[in-house]
Amino acid sequence: MKKRGFADLFFLLLVVYLVLPVVATMLYAFATNWNKTILPEGLTLTWLAALFQDAEFIQAFGRSVLLSSGAVMIALLVIVPAIFVIVLYFPKYEKWIQMAVVMVYSFPGIILAVGLIRVYSKFGVPMILVVLGAYVIGILPYIYQGTRNSLQNVNARQLIDAAQLLGASKLQAFTKILLPTVYPGLFAGALLSFSVLFGEFVLINLVVGSRFETVQIYLMKKLSTSGHIASAVVFIYIVLMGLLTYAIATLTKRSKGATNL
Amino acid sequence: MSYIVIEGLHKKYGSTTVLSNINMKIEKGEFITLLGPSGCGKSTILRILAGLTDASAGKINIEGKDMNRVQPKDRQVGMVFQSYALFPNMTVKENVAFGLRMQKVNTAEVDQRVQEILEIVHLSEKAHAYPKELSGGQQQRVALARALIVRPKVLLLDEPLSALDAQIRKKLQADLRAIQQKLGITMILVTHDQEEAMAVSDRIFVMNNGMIAQSGTPTAIYTSPESEFIANFIGHYNVFTRQALEKMIGEALPKEYSKFAIRPEAIHLDQRQGDVCMTGEAKQSLMSGNVIRTTFEGECLFTMEQLHQRGHSFELGKQYVCYIAKEDVIALS
Amino acid sequence: MISKRQTVAWLSPFLVLVLLFFLVPLLYMLITSFQYSDGFTLAQYQTVLTNDYILQGFTNSITLSVISAVIALMVTLFAVYAIMRFSEPMREKILILTNLTSNFSGIPLAFAFIVLLGNSGLFTLLFDKWGIDTFSSFSLYSWGGLLLIYIYFQLPLALMLLYPIYDGIQQQWKDAAALLGASTWQFWMKIGIPVMLPGIVGTFSVLFANAMGAYASAYALTSSNYNLVAIRIGSLIKGDIFAQPELASAIAVILAVTMVTAMLLSEWSISKTRRKL
Repeated sequence: MKKRGFADLFFLLLVVYLVLPVVATMLYAFATNWNKTILPEGLTLTWLAALFQDAEFIQAFGRSVLLSSGAVMIALLVIVPAIFVIVLYFPKYEKWIQMAVVMVYSFPGIILAVGLIRVYSKFGVPMILVVLGAYVIGILPYIYQGTRNSLQNVNARQLIDAAQLLGASKLQAFTKILLPTVYPGLFAGALLSFSVLFGEFVLINLVVGSRFETVQIYLMKKLSTSGHIASAVVFIYIVLMGLLTYAIATLTKRSKGATNL
Repeated sequence: MSYIVIEGLHKKYGSTTVLSNINMKIEKGEFITLLGPSGCGKSTILRILAGLTDASAGKINIEGKDMNRVQPKDRQVGMVFQSYALFPNMTVKENVAFGLRMQKVNTAEVDQRVQEILEIVHLSEKAHAYPKELSGGQQQRVALARALIVRPKVLLLDEPLSALDAQIRKKLQADLRAIQQKLGITMILVTHDQEEAMAVSDRIFVMNNGMIAQSGTPTAIYTSPESEFIANFIGHYNVFTRQALEKMIGEALPKEYSKFAIRPEAIHLDQRQGDVCMTGEAKQSLMSGNVIRTTFEGECLFTMEQLHQRGHSFELGKQYVCYIAKEDVIALS
Repeated sequence: MISKRQTVAWLSPFLVLVLLFFLVPLLYMLITSFQYSDGFTLAQYQTVLTNDYILQGFTNSITLSVISAVIALMVTLFAVYAIMRFSEPMREKILILTNLTSNFSGIPLAFAFIVLLGNSGLFTLLFDKWGIDTFSSFSLYSWGGLLLIYIYFQLPLALMLLYPIYDGIQQQWKDAAALLGASTWQFWMKIGIPVMLPGIVGTFSVLFANAMGAYASAYALTSSNYNLVAIRIGSLIKGDIFAQPELASAIAVILAVTMVTAMLLSEWSISKTRRKL
């Protein structure tokens, strides 16, 4: 009985600790003045309005969206087929992909940045493309996970074989049968990748810097100039993350149902 | 008073009734089986007996003591699970010794008792192996040893053999019965396999939909099923409606009963075996172990079973006349 | 089966990308770490190992990573135990909350903590008002403050990693132990924790690696003023006047070795768990 209450206390502590900063920041985004009092002096939409009228912010937001979704789409086009080919036809080599995933985790942005700058800064290649390429590889773990989890519950190879025996070409079997099954998990992985890239700072800051101003770089600038604007940016960021998280959760639930064949 | 008494047991999950009005009396040293299809509530009774689940209503008495509010660890009840539940981080020896260690028995005695019980279950040479290194049958024997070594008042077995191959299962059934007789332990086994129930039990409680449908010795249940459910569940009874059977045998049957059952081995080709006769066309003859099962079609289908040894081989499509002794036509309520 | 041509077609873009944006840069970084103007030399590594400032950076990073990992692990161990006892819909909501907050790291997180604990932060003012002096010397911009932020982004990761490990503890083990006379405490001490231990060690090493590689949060608080390995590397490549890519490479290689060791440790622990069960 005692242990029960003890563990619940830690849980409560955890939840409060996690939620408090989020709530406080969101409140700050709507506060008129919050320098000397416990609660904000008043609420206002001015900060949010100012943000939406700031062309710099709109552009930064656009760049972030462009970069993140670009990387995700390239990943979907390049990585997903490769995973399928290996899982379906060369299962022995799957451990290479798994090793690659572990490697990606072992070499975070700060380490990769060193190598990337070293290799590509002399080529005259726009560094933003270099970052794009690094992003694509960086989301490998999430794309792999999304694809693998969906494929796990269906015997993919047998489905393709059965379809082919019934007259479908390989491509038809892939698009009409496998893809619909894998789609929810894959989409969840794509959304997760998008949210991770949207919050990325290290590579963008070190390899490209303010030449390509994303939301994160913009936020960094505003941090020292206007706290309220900064919090408005964070508010929008949290809302975006919230929507993505919700979408991912819904998709994951749906994919679980779909694979209960 | 009986060794174990269950009175008026009820269990509800939300609005679903899982057990209704279960009453059982079990004597010391008996081997009891709770038999029934999946979902009939038999495992729930076991869990309530062990104290792992609470009953909604009713009383449990073990050796005269009311078990209400008694914790599982104080009930002196042992349990063997379907998935063995062996502790993966401990060797066979450590698993078996676990209960004794909880009782703070000294090391010398623990070693000696572990050795004894491992010999009884024929696993002495595996004492230092880990569960994952053992086969299913071996793991189950370790689970048995672990539960028996603490000398429980009653041993509960929750479908312990369901996950095993047919051959291993038969061997373990025999072993289980032998150990039970040797140690004189009261055992309650839960299973959906009626052959298993028949093979090991002193008495069987057949359950359906949370209630006890019939209880008795294996022979009693087999030869005198009380309801259509029992007849369909036990053995391979032929069950007929009164109208259909009357048509087939050309005789009237008592009107108070709507259904009748005939055991497949009670049907013979020899006229001397009985006065009641039925005619049918041989449709199918299947071999099942040492038995030939032949299906005939008369007014309705019926099946005859014969041992290979004395079996007659049937020509499919031909009409045969079969004879049954009058007392072998069993009325079902 | 699949033709060789098709295989090449589908696999090569992926392999090319891996090569260009992962393998080649890392390899080049490794080579660079052995350079100084011209020629092969171990001078960079010598600098790293003898330079007090850099060594301090390593000490700081490792200490920060270990402490934040341990605290997050301890809190989460108990929290997950509590979560396992909730109903399924409640657990789903908690999972969603975890996913949401796992995205909250880097600059936005640092800013949130400034709002709470900065010079005009919510709690700073609160404690001032209530006359609680114990925390008056506390500054968000000190190591204590950074630790709080690091703990924050370790928690969701710890939750997501520990949850399946707890899930692997079978109810039937608990039942069997209870019937054999064990109390809940005895069960966890003798069976539960020993079985989970490899998984817990693995989680710790992932958390450690996670903290070692973190850059944005510390940077957001005071640009390059914290002496952490990641910050050190950053300032050496961005270093406006005295960019020292060779030294940065050497430090990065050592950091990489630390990270790879941690990840290998976690992989080993996962396989150990899988083999036991």
